[in-house]
Amino acid sequence: MLFLQLLVNGIQVGALYALTAVGFSLIFGSTRIFHVAHGATFTLAGYVFYELYSVAGAPWIAALAAATAGAGIFGVLVDRFVYAPIQRHEGSFFTVFVASFGITIVVQNLVGTAFGRGFVSISSPLSRSVELAPGLYAPPTAAISVLAAVVCFVGLHFFLTRTHVGMALRALSENPDLVRVFGLDPRRLSSYAFALGSLLVVPGALLTGATAGLSPALGNHVMLISLAATIVGGVGSLRGAACGGLLLGLAENLALWQLDPQWSEAVTFVVLFLFIVFRPAGFFGRVATQ
Amino acid sequence: MLTRSRALAGFAAAAIAAFAAAAASADDITIGADLPLSGPNAQYGDIFSQGANLAIADVNADHMLSKTLVMDYEDSQALPQPGVVAANKLVSVVRVPYMLSAFTSVSKAIAPVAERSKTVAVNGGGVGPDLAELGDYFWNVIPLANYEVRAMVPYLVSERKLKRFVLVYVDDPLGDAILKELQTELPKVGGELAGALKIPRDAEQFAGIAARAREAKPEVIYIASFGAQQSQIIKQFRDNGVSQLIVSYSGFDIPAIKQEPEAKGALYTSQRMDWESNDPVTKRFVTEFKAKYGKAPNYYAANYYNAVMLFAILAQGLEKKGEAITGENLLKERKAVGTFNLVGGKTEFQANGSVIMPMQINEVDGKDGHIVH
Repeated sequence: MLFLQLLVNGIQVGALYALTAVGFSLIFGSTRIFHVAHGATFTLAGYVFYELYSVAGAPWIAALAAATAGAGIFGVLVDRFVYAPIQRHEGSFFTVFVASFGITIVVQNLVGTAFGRGFVSISSPLSRSVELAPGLYAPPTAAISVLAAVVCFVGLHFFLTRTHVGMALRALSENPDLVRVFGLDPRRLSSYAFALGSLLVVPGALLTGATAGLSPALGNHVMLISLAATIVGGVGSLRGAACGGLLLGLAENLALWQLDPQWSEAVTFVVLFLFIVFRPAGFFGRVATQ
Repeated sequence: MLTRSRALAGFAAAAIAAFAAAAASADDITIGADLPLSGPNAQYGDIFSQGANLAIADVNADHMLSKTLVMDYEDSQALPQPGVVAANKLVSVVRVPYMLSAFTSVSKAIAPVAERSKTVAVNGGGVGPDLAELGDYFWNVIPLANYEVRAMVPYLVSERKLKRFVLVYVDDPLGDAILKELQTELPKVGGELAGALKIPRDAEQFAGIAARAREAKPEVIYIASFGAQQSQIIKQFRDNGVSQLIVSYSGFDIPAIKQEPEAKGALYTSQRMDWESNDPVTKRFVTEFKAKYGKAPNYYAANYYNAVMLFAILAQGLEKKGEAITGENLLKERKAVGTFNLVGGKTEFQANGSVIMPMQINEVDGKDGHIVH
């Protein structure tokens, strides 16, 4: 029964990892910007929801709307006012990375100052487990996590394949120069990518807040997993990032079946290293040719 | 015309002036504090510094020393390496004779710096038993974890008839020390350590670990972690079907745990401190702490108040004798005086620089907690 329990836990965690990883992969794939501050977006969304729903007592739908708007706006603002100026002055990839890292630190400290540096959680009966069978517990948030991931991925797939903006984003990831030739504005498309990628962290942030809780440094772990999942899934592949996130969530939990808990996070990175060594293109990544 | 070079020169001059103004003057006595000011354990740094700052204010208000006492805070982030960097700065740049420390791992890392430079380092928060063996210049004003476990285990086994324990402990000297204590103490009273689950310091997901803990069928879950991680463990264990009694050491004595709904009913040990005492030092501390911070004090704040007061008492003694306030002289003075009137009553130092205090067991009740034993 322990194995089954860990499998259920792994699917729940993996679904949330998949959502944040797809958001990161979408941004990186479209814009080639290493958006380390993706973790900061996750943290901000969680805390906005917490403050409105748990502290101010606002209806959950209003808090959700605010968290969603906040995440999207933050992503776009970072792109417009931090990354765009650096790229306009021909800043290097490393310069953008350092700027993004700096934003993460600033946001972490601002959140700590505004909301306190301790742990907070979004209290909800949905996080309390129900005993499905002797020794097998699952909270409603497990089903919600999977449902949210499925809905978001179906919506994202529709958006990217059936809308002009979605197709333009896919074109941007393939060939930014050709996108300009067709009269599209890569800068505006970049903003769309950031907005969309940032929106995808919201379900994960809220569900993490309800299950594991929030702390100002939460974004660091999220960022690490998003990056690992993107590589495992294949850089540029959203489907791959989703599979990578799910795989890492499962690996992290199933490792507890036989290994001590101190090794469960290390297993995540062993999986990453195995992919880097034996399948560097990831699940669905494309091998780059010159 | 304002050229770029003139603007840069003006900015540099302003920065230098601001820096010079902020630096301690020659009229001050500066001591250091190597505390977590950022990161997941910053809430402890907030609590520690509240006690320390109150003591600084009282020392200066009472004119205990010939000069103004000033604290230089450096950020350890509760991690050994930043802690050593901070300690080196306090010792080599600021040249403090005395510094506050916290967290077992940080204290163990900075102890050689203190010993080498003959700078007194005082811990009021870390509880690893190893902290009693870090040399002449490392002192503890908090009873260490071995005493905490020795208070909790007999109570649970003999009085509450709970014998089967599972330990969830952080990968840190503190966690290792509590594991060792439980392995030693439980068999003595007829208890059993049914499982020991070691977790990384930065772990945040505990649903799977809750499943492992449930598998061992414990009667008690002992949590040996700190900071936000403790709160996460408690919440996720309760959410994932762990209904057994949760117990811990004094690390639970923080607002985040006391107010966490899922922590209600949990037990934790701490040094015995009578907040209602009429002893003038304790009464003054409690009154002033409530007035300044709008809440009741806790043991950590009291320990760091004591740590600063201890310095002031020793330094006052040295000034009366016309001796310089150095680490060496502070050590000699502590050994000569031996017992001090601090918050909580008379505090006596052992030869190894640690204190022994009576312990109590507290229960989390959603407010300030209450004593159960």
